[in-house]
Amino acid sequence: MANPKIIVVGGGLAGLSAVIKIAEAGGDVDLFSIVPVKRSHSVCAQGGINAAKNLKGEGDTTAQHLDDTVYGGDFLGNQTPIKEMCDAAPAIIDLLDRMGVPFNRTPEGLLDFRRFGGTLYHRTAFAGATTGQQLLYALDEQVRRYESEGRVTKYEHWEFLSAVLDSNRVCRGICAMNLRTMEVRTFECDALIVATGGIGAIFGKSTNSVVCTGSAQSALYQQGAYYANGEFIQVHPTSIPGEDKLRLMSESARGEGGRVWVPKQKHDKRDPRTIPDSDRFYFLEEWYPKYGNLVPRDVATRAIHKIVYENDLGIDGQPMVYLDLTHIDRHTLDRKLEGILEIYEKFVGDDPRVHPMKIFPGMHYTMGGLWIDFNQATSIPGVFAAGECEYQYHGANRLGANSLVSCIFGGFVAGPEAVKYAKGLQKSPAGSNGHFDAEKKRQEEINSRLISSDGTENPFRLWRELGDTMTRNVTVLRYNKSLQETDTKIVELLERFRKINLSDKGAWANTSFIFSRQLYNMLQLARVITQGAARRDESRGAHYKPDFPERDDAKFLKTTKAYFAPDADEPRFEWEAVDTSIIKPRPRRYDMAK
Amino acid sequence: MATAVSPNPKTEHTSGVAPLRAGQGHEFLLRRLHSLSGIIPVGAFLFEHIVVSNAQAINGPTAYANQVRFLGSLPFVLALEIFGIWLPILFHAGYGFYIWYRGQSNLINYPWMGNWMYALQRWTGGIAFAYIIWHTYTMRFTGVDLHDHPGASFGKVQLELFNPAYFAFYVIGLLSASWHFAYGIWLFAAKWGITIGERARQRFLYVCMALFLLISGVGLASITSFRSHQQQPTDPAGAAVVEHSQVK
Amino acid sequence: MAEKTVKLKIKRQTGPNTESHWDEFEIPWKPGMNVISAMMDIAANPVTKDGKQTTPIAYDSNCLEEICGSCAMLINGKAKMACSALVDHFEQPITVEPLSKFPIVRDLAVDRSVLFENLKKVKAWVPVDGTYDLGSGPRITPQQQEQSYPLSNCISCTICMEVCPQFNEGTGFVGAATISQVALFNDHPTGAVLKEERLHALMGDGGIHECGFAQNCVESCPKEIPLTRSISRVAGQVMIQSIKDIFSS
Repeated sequence: MANPKIIVVGGGLAGLSAVIKIAEAGGDVDLFSIVPVKRSHSVCAQGGINAAKNLKGEGDTTAQHLDDTVYGGDFLGNQTPIKEMCDAAPAIIDLLDRMGVPFNRTPEGLLDFRRFGGTLYHRTAFAGATTGQQLLYALDEQVRRYESEGRVTKYEHWEFLSAVLDSNRVCRGICAMNLRTMEVRTFECDALIVATGGIGAIFGKSTNSVVCTGSAQSALYQQGAYYANGEFIQVHPTSIPGEDKLRLMSESARGEGGRVWVPKQKHDKRDPRTIPDSDRFYFLEEWYPKYGNLVPRDVATRAIHKIVYENDLGIDGQPMVYLDLTHIDRHTLDRKLEGILEIYEKFVGDDPRVHPMKIFPGMHYTMGGLWIDFNQATSIPGVFAAGECEYQYHGANRLGANSLVSCIFGGFVAGPEAVKYAKGLQKSPAGSNGHFDAEKKRQEEINSRLISSDGTENPFRLWRELGDTMTRNVTVLRYNKSLQETDTKIVELLERFRKINLSDKGAWANTSFIFSRQLYNMLQLARVITQGAARRDESRGAHYKPDFPERDDAKFLKTTKAYFAPDADEPRFEWEAVDTSIIKPRPRRYDMAK
Repeated sequence: MATAVSPNPKTEHTSGVAPLRAGQGHEFLLRRLHSLSGIIPVGAFLFEHIVVSNAQAINGPTAYANQVRFLGSLPFVLALEIFGIWLPILFHAGYGFYIWYRGQSNLINYPWMGNWMYALQRWTGGIAFAYIIWHTYTMRFTGVDLHDHPGASFGKVQLELFNPAYFAFYVIGLLSASWHFAYGIWLFAAKWGITIGERARQRFLYVCMALFLLISGVGLASITSFRSHQQQPTDPAGAAVVEHSQVK
Repeated sequence: MAEKTVKLKIKRQTGPNTESHWDEFEIPWKPGMNVISAMMDIAANPVTKDGKQTTPIAYDSNCLEEICGSCAMLINGKAKMACSALVDHFEQPITVEPLSKFPIVRDLAVDRSVLFENLKKVKAWVPVDGTYDLGSGPRITPQQQEQSYPLSNCISCTICMEVCPQFNEGTGFVGAATISQVALFNDHPTGAVLKEERLHALMGDGGIHECGFAQNCVESCPKEIPLTRSISRVAGQVMIQSIKDIFSS
């Protein structure tokens, strides 16, 4: 029989990991990506990748990594797959090392490890301050090798529009659009892996890249796939506010000893360098003596919000606090953090080796995503998912440096599972391929409706309204009333979307047209996030409701599963029990040892 | 199945800069020969010609004549000239013009030092070649034959140098050739992987600039001494007198 | 007082084979604004300075953190990453043009796939046996890591190629980025197994010998990669290889 044909959508860490495994297993891969895969969002990950290699004599174990991950995720993560990931992590690091990732080294020539948030161990391998970039490049190079051998065909500058499902709702291919010629085409496959990353664009400005719209996940959700735990959105405590986006200031800045503080005196106008230690409030160290500046992201984020909005201690009354590295010597900073310090210097204009950085929390990551089983399979037969676009490994909150390992692990599982599925797949009977034409026609109709729409709404302005509402109401602090208002607002935006007017009606590389298609999917997915948050009347991990400040395991130790009701054009919800077969849930506190 | 065929997306390049033709063609050899020929034999000859032979002009007409006679008496002198000087220069220049033609200078937008040097290397090469053609033509192929009458050499050069236009051309030709050679050595070291580091290249640049100063300095001194002597004879009889007089 | 504004002059072209023209824009200034955020504002209100309705500008961008390498373009005539080009640092009107050495897709978007083709030609990868668990990689000293890491930071923005006088359709020069990747992989203990093949590839037409050492690459690299060092090192390796070839073939 012919080689299994797998389509992978998305060329970040998860997608490329899957591609490598499939090619290695003898499958043929068509790899689709909006951008050349080397430009995928994975390059933005800075700090590192976790694996309990225990190279620092601390007695770190994969069981400890599991515990930290589950605990950090406030027990919402399914423990069996998390355990598998933590167990696989050391070998993943070794593999990356063999692929030539320039990890930082100890004098003996071994991998160096740093500490990251939510753990007491040095568990994070890193390559300068551009670990994600280095990892992605290593995988990209391996894929290029397979590409030159003819095992992989890249379709870059193509956007996934939908899966092609046969009459049994089994995936038989995809429908995609060429972003230059605007051609809509269907492609056949035996199995599909989506690895389409984050959804930051739903929040307008975030730390995510431009392509992270969640459009592909949303399209699959609208085709019947479950979307799980959408309400869990990680807000990174330390981002650099910017006009076009929020730029990440990696957790490694705190990992290497960065200290977060504000002046004790409200609206202190002094140059931060002249403020003596006695006039500084190191609030994380004071409130969380055990973990100090390295509390998990959700805890740090809420602490900063509290300092700024409740205590009114933001720098000069603005929503910003100091992240200070100036006490660390220049050489150490350059060696370990140069990349991220450059970012600050380049985009803000101050040298963080001299001036304390000004930072504020920013939308960063979605723990939620396409629902998958323990083999990365979504609820649509033949569709698998890996990476940030699925929900499996981070529970209610992701620990720093766990995303890279979950992407690669997810891809490494999804690839072989897809091949296995493809080999056991019944070919669709001859002459039953009408679903390809039907799907293509459906997508072309959406396109022609959009291009001929002649209302008054500008898609980019609709997007800004969506982003503002989502950021205000569905990030750090969530109130049921404002969640309700947000959902109403999204419905209004969906209504206005029908009156869109594309200033560009061209049929070549029409970016506003492409963006509008993504925007529609963003709006649909925004409702899943918002309504999911509304339904969860507790506080867990990144999801925090001041009106329900405690975790409520009795009611909500459950995975939120949303599915799309086409007739009502809105999400419906179910709950699913969480796998807690290994570690019994216990309260999550970072002001003391766990 | 018509709709689901997935032919490979186009990878061949129909426009724009072509990808590397890995392992194909022989530009590499030619380019390296070009680079090498600039130093040996062309550069070596340049050095000999200016710093050794023509510098004899500083010692006066007779010393100069003796040097010319010595060179003219070398065995197989014509073969040496053809294969050691003329053909290498023609190759170096011809291929150099080809390189120049294919480059796309962009000094206006990127007026950085290395980029200036890149442009200057091409202009100095072009000027030096024009000069060399003219200089070889007038000195070697017109007027009194200096192999037969070495004593006429000093005077023959003087005839040209007393003409202000030719004098200017000499100076420009000299500076161009010595710059082209000196910076060429620097380029050679960088492009053949001899000076790898930034600082090594910086230091070697000083060495090459010193070489430029040496060659152009000696050259200018020679030119000056031609012009500071009275016009010497260029006829065979006068030449014989020069040849047999004592070196001062 | 009139609000502070930003004036931009953007070179546009609707497709690969159409005529180009310039559109001028004047938009409200915001603190910390860069060329990308200016174009985002234009997209939300695509009206030229003269009040003419136009289309949003097509350009490549992704991370906006100068790490994905997408948004290279000519800003005031020089190749730059648009995301890190703060408008306050440029004289106005700021002219924005597509890179000049690559086929235009539309407006500021160009086709830079030649770089990825070149990376294939020089086998810029470490040929691992497989992804199954084979234990840890070779030991590498911190000094070696510090030499490799900067080279591995190349974001494939192609600015080094754009600014190179030798990179053009006449020469088909491979460009500094690819050569530097050869240096990177030749240094790696496992990657070195393909060293000879890489060097032979670079001896092909358009190879390393086309370098004219104008050094624009190293001046303009947004990641400050020591590109001329890489070129020199690889050139030395190529020479040694070619001498070996003479005596061992």
